[in-house]
Amino acid sequence: MTRLWFPLAAVALLGTPDLTRAADPVEKPLFSRHVVPLFSRLGCNAGACHGSVTGQNGFRLSLFGASPSQDHAWLLREFAGRRVNPFEPEKSLLLEKATGVVSHVGGQRMAVGGRDYQLLRSWLTRGAKLDRVEDSRVTALRVSPPQQTLNLGQTYALKVEAAFADGTKEDVTDLCSFEVLDPTVAAVDVSGTVTAKGVGDTAVIVRYGYEPVVAHLVVPRAGNEPFPDVKPNNFVDQHVLAKLKRLNIHPAGLCDDATFLRRASLDVTGLPPTPDEVRRFLADKSPDKRAKKIDELLGRPGYAALWATKFSDVLKPNSFNANYGLVEPAEARRFYEWVRARVAENTPYDEFAARVLLATSRDGRTREEWVEEVMAMAEENALLEPNLAVYAKRKTLDLYWQRENATGVKGTLQVAHAFLGLRLECAQCHRHPHDVWQQDDLLSFANFFMRVKGANYPDNKTLPPKAAELMKKGPEEAKKLREEAKKLTDKAKDKSVKPDDAAKMMAEAKTLEMKARMLTEGPKRFGTEVQHNGERANFASVSSPLGTQKSEAFRLPGETQSLKFAKEDDPREAVVAWMRKPDNPYFAKAMVNRAWAHYFGRGIVDPPDHLSSLNPPSHPELLDALAKGFVENKYDLKWLHRAILNSRTYQQSARPHETAKGDRRNFASFPLRRLPAEVLLDVINQATGATEAFPPRLFLPPGARAMEVAGVTGAEDQRAALAYAFQIFGRPARNGLVQCDCERDPSPTIVQALYLANHPQLREKIAAANGRVAKLVTDVSDDVKRVEEIFLWTVGRMPSKDDLAASLEYVKASPSAQRGLEDLMWSLINTREFSLNH
Amino acid sequence: MTAEHVVVVWLGGGPPHQDMFDMKPDAPKEIAGEFKPIGTNVPGIQVCELMPRLARNADKYTILRSVGIKSETWEHGGGQYWLTGNPRKTGVTPAYPMYGNVVAKLRPAPKDVPTFVAFGDIDNHAYGLKQNYLGPTADPIVFQPEDAKGEVKGMLVPPAGLDLSAFDRRETLRQSLDTQLRGLDDPIVGGMDKFQQTAFDLLRSPKLRDALAVEKEPLKVAERYGKNSHGRRVLAARRLVEAGVPFVYTHFESNWDHHGQNFRACKEKLPNLDKAVASLIEDLHDRGLLEKTVVMVLGEMGRTPKINKDAGRDHWGTCQSVLVAGGGFKGGCVVGATDKHAAYVTDKYYKVESFGRTIYHLLGIDPDQTLYALDNRPHRLIGEDTPLIKEALV
Repeated sequence: MTRLWFPLAAVALLGTPDLTRAADPVEKPLFSRHVVPLFSRLGCNAGACHGSVTGQNGFRLSLFGASPSQDHAWLLREFAGRRVNPFEPEKSLLLEKATGVVSHVGGQRMAVGGRDYQLLRSWLTRGAKLDRVEDSRVTALRVSPPQQTLNLGQTYALKVEAAFADGTKEDVTDLCSFEVLDPTVAAVDVSGTVTAKGVGDTAVIVRYGYEPVVAHLVVPRAGNEPFPDVKPNNFVDQHVLAKLKRLNIHPAGLCDDATFLRRASLDVTGLPPTPDEVRRFLADKSPDKRAKKIDELLGRPGYAALWATKFSDVLKPNSFNANYGLVEPAEARRFYEWVRARVAENTPYDEFAARVLLATSRDGRTREEWVEEVMAMAEENALLEPNLAVYAKRKTLDLYWQRENATGVKGTLQVAHAFLGLRLECAQCHRHPHDVWQQDDLLSFANFFMRVKGANYPDNKTLPPKAAELMKKGPEEAKKLREEAKKLTDKAKDKSVKPDDAAKMMAEAKTLEMKARMLTEGPKRFGTEVQHNGERANFASVSSPLGTQKSEAFRLPGETQSLKFAKEDDPREAVVAWMRKPDNPYFAKAMVNRAWAHYFGRGIVDPPDHLSSLNPPSHPELLDALAKGFVENKYDLKWLHRAILNSRTYQQSARPHETAKGDRRNFASFPLRRLPAEVLLDVINQATGATEAFPPRLFLPPGARAMEVAGVTGAEDQRAALAYAFQIFGRPARNGLVQCDCERDPSPTIVQALYLANHPQLREKIAAANGRVAKLVTDVSDDVKRVEEIFLWTVGRMPSKDDLAASLEYVKASPSAQRGLEDLMWSLINTREFSLNH
Repeated sequence: MTAEHVVVVWLGGGPPHQDMFDMKPDAPKEIAGEFKPIGTNVPGIQVCELMPRLARNADKYTILRSVGIKSETWEHGGGQYWLTGNPRKTGVTPAYPMYGNVVAKLRPAPKDVPTFVAFGDIDNHAYGLKQNYLGPTADPIVFQPEDAKGEVKGMLVPPAGLDLSAFDRRETLRQSLDTQLRGLDDPIVGGMDKFQQTAFDLLRSPKLRDALAVEKEPLKVAERYGKNSHGRRVLAARRLVEAGVPFVYTHFESNWDHHGQNFRACKEKLPNLDKAVASLIEDLHDRGLLEKTVVMVLGEMGRTPKINKDAGRDHWGTCQSVLVAGGGFKGGCVVGATDKHAAYVTDKYYKVESFGRTIYHLLGIDPDQTLYALDNRPHRLIGEDTPLIKEALV
């Protein structure tokens, strides 16, 4: 069962609404039915105006008109009745301010004598009463026409009808606000008249007071050239081409092989192809070489590294064990390695989600076995040598719940965002004007996550004796060990000691210091044992400037029925069971939509983490087909990637057909995307032949890639060139308090341009004595070959005739071949082609 | 005339107002503290004896004594208030932007200088300079001007041996190779072209480089600012303003959070602050830049009137002192007053929003305009209607 707001959107039936038109509201206006929605339409109760928590200039309204009776009280009782003057209605501040007769910071909102004015005056004249709010509760809202196709420049009028709890219906068009999602396609005026402005499709969000309803429209391109006869590769293309046909927009041609290889390699593995790989691929004449290459790429380690990073963006491996920042880097590494192992073994996505969401520390073992595991990890932390494979083999990811804010309302926001593609943040304080969620929806969902014991400080009561003893005695013993170590190092510095003996002393001191460290740092590995705890009877509540709200129900998002749980039941299990139902409206869709957005820079629903009936998909049938196929294929992520990567849509050229100029929403060509921070660094290193020097506490083996960095880099690493590059190229900070895919920022900035043009480290990489250029100068003598190699390593293609001529001329005119080729590589790194996937 | 530049000298933590700009020598010893006030070049205005050069320049600045966040028990976080003009935290949504981010968004600088530069540690009890709702494109360029090997400084210096003609020759090569994605009419290509052009302009132009070469400043001038990294940053701020940079932020000394040994800390910090800020104001004035440059020196809050057992002063939010100069602020002026213990405002209380509105007013930026967050949520630039601090304006 879905709740009221779904039918509300769905009631948008064809045909003109059946208007049992009540008396003109101007004759007999009701506060909650007419006046408050008028406030909403005029924007009076918006957050930036009187809907603000502190009101505005002494006058406050409930945000978006959530509470008509409260609004009535504020309007009438406060400010000594000057706002509302029933004896001389025209002198009411309400009218004088709104019409700008008396100076109003919000400007003039209505004209004296207009229809809005008449309505308000009529209400004032009739005594400014509060009506029965319940009678005017909306039971259905319909807009007509709900679907419309029109040509450029054409207009049509929307009509909106509301049905109320008291059984009456009314045309409320005059009281509604209208908003077009894509203003390049259409415009709508205050009366609800829509005008087609550009080719494409979009939706109009209609709001009557708090209630929304959606109308769709399509504007095809004029012109009668025949639609090209392009063959779909698979079902993805069928849907995309069908829509393009409806819009009369032609798809782009296919991209060439070199472009495809670089594109797919970067998107699947985060690394470009090597020159040999490019040559082999170009020489391969088999017709299915692209499909074979896709399979090969999905089998490479880079695929697991890339998706471990993508999942880490939303699962956020940081802020472990409350305050113990000291163990953070090792824990982040373990978290990442666990995710990477699951991606590498292609764990079905539903199982992956279950193993994160239902994680327990014991993983089905005894407490003693778990304690052994933790003690081992504590020792590894102290020695700064985490054995990552051990944690990666665990069944469940208990570190997810060892993070700050993993449980409760904040944790619920993250679950909703990461696994359901829902944005519930705003519902913490109020209902979101662009969404359907209310506070009660969020809190009732949060109750499923209130019985997990999450991150906490270790305390002696819950610690196993072995660790408790260490916690108590550890620091004292550590102090002694450190003193001993200091004595040894002091002694070693003495000139009378032989160098060999001094070295031995230093080594011994180091061992002592390590032991001391284990004694103090070791037990800190103990967070709380993550487990279900039925004794925790607290329920979710939120306090905001708008007041405190609480729910004691367990209700899943969009469901009407509440669930009941015995103490021993872990409510998280009900969440996972619900997610794994084939008809779950969010779980599979959120994943396929995110995957789509990864390849196309925008989701079928966009932004990709905002599934909502008020944010309709560009291709609803495609989204459904992908989600259905994903479920039918047992949530096989590689099936999903293959479906998208093998499509003609993905393999199109970035050069749009002339009929498709400016289109972003219909995937008529391949969208240009700036490479993500980690990929960009890895691509630079591959081009220049450099290896990244990682700070030791990132626990990466030599030769590792930037893509493999887990979590956020620690404070002491912030000054490193790596952290700096991550920051300026928009690697997400993975801030636990922000749930948004937009945290990864793909926009270009001036500092990025400066980095590529002139960062000292990048300059060094290009000119390094053991770098790519230097090697080519020694190993290859022919300038043409050298230039070709540099093109292949840097932009993954052979130089064109003009490229080759310009490059050779430049190298010849340079003081040395080395300098000339360095400049060539610099030039290519600073092209659009290099930092974009295209 | 609207102000064209801003220099913020941030005193992270809460500098003790009663030991600096709002002294109460007649209060009991456990409140008045160790220092004595001295007269300034404006009759009736006194400041702490540790700031003699600011005393000689009182005709060029205003002291706001009646501003505060109206809260006695106050924890750190005032940076979010004072640097954004918006007291309420946005909660889970990204923070309000600092004045400099707003300038970077709404009024970017001419092509050969950056709009917003911040020196040093921008996390020192300061908020809004990054991770705010305007997104990273309006973030400052952050670096240590005194650190010759610093990241950004390194990026602004063209590589050795690459003179301007070689630079241009290389750039010509790049242009001839950068043809693959031309004519695609994609906004991202346009955006990258624009930023790259600006970056190359910065590299080509000696303006910013020269401005950052603090070592080129005559020794006598440099030493007036104090022989320490903080003084050098204030000096660099002046040089950047001269070069045309609209907004420079620097924090001055680490934590002004003197819960213990307040007077010892003041003896170390106040003379340095005195030298740097007085020199900045004098130099801007001498160069005719002060009237179009807002200078503000402030921290998160004031400190408790009563000195605690550790010779410290604790957090106190009901009042604090803020120094403002130039860009339309009066000289030789004190706004408001506090009671005999410098504990509560007794005259002309102004909220943080008034301070923010006054700064935007001087910059000619409408504080009532709506800006949109990355997720399209609308924010009014300054949330609440509050009066301007008119007494401080020319």
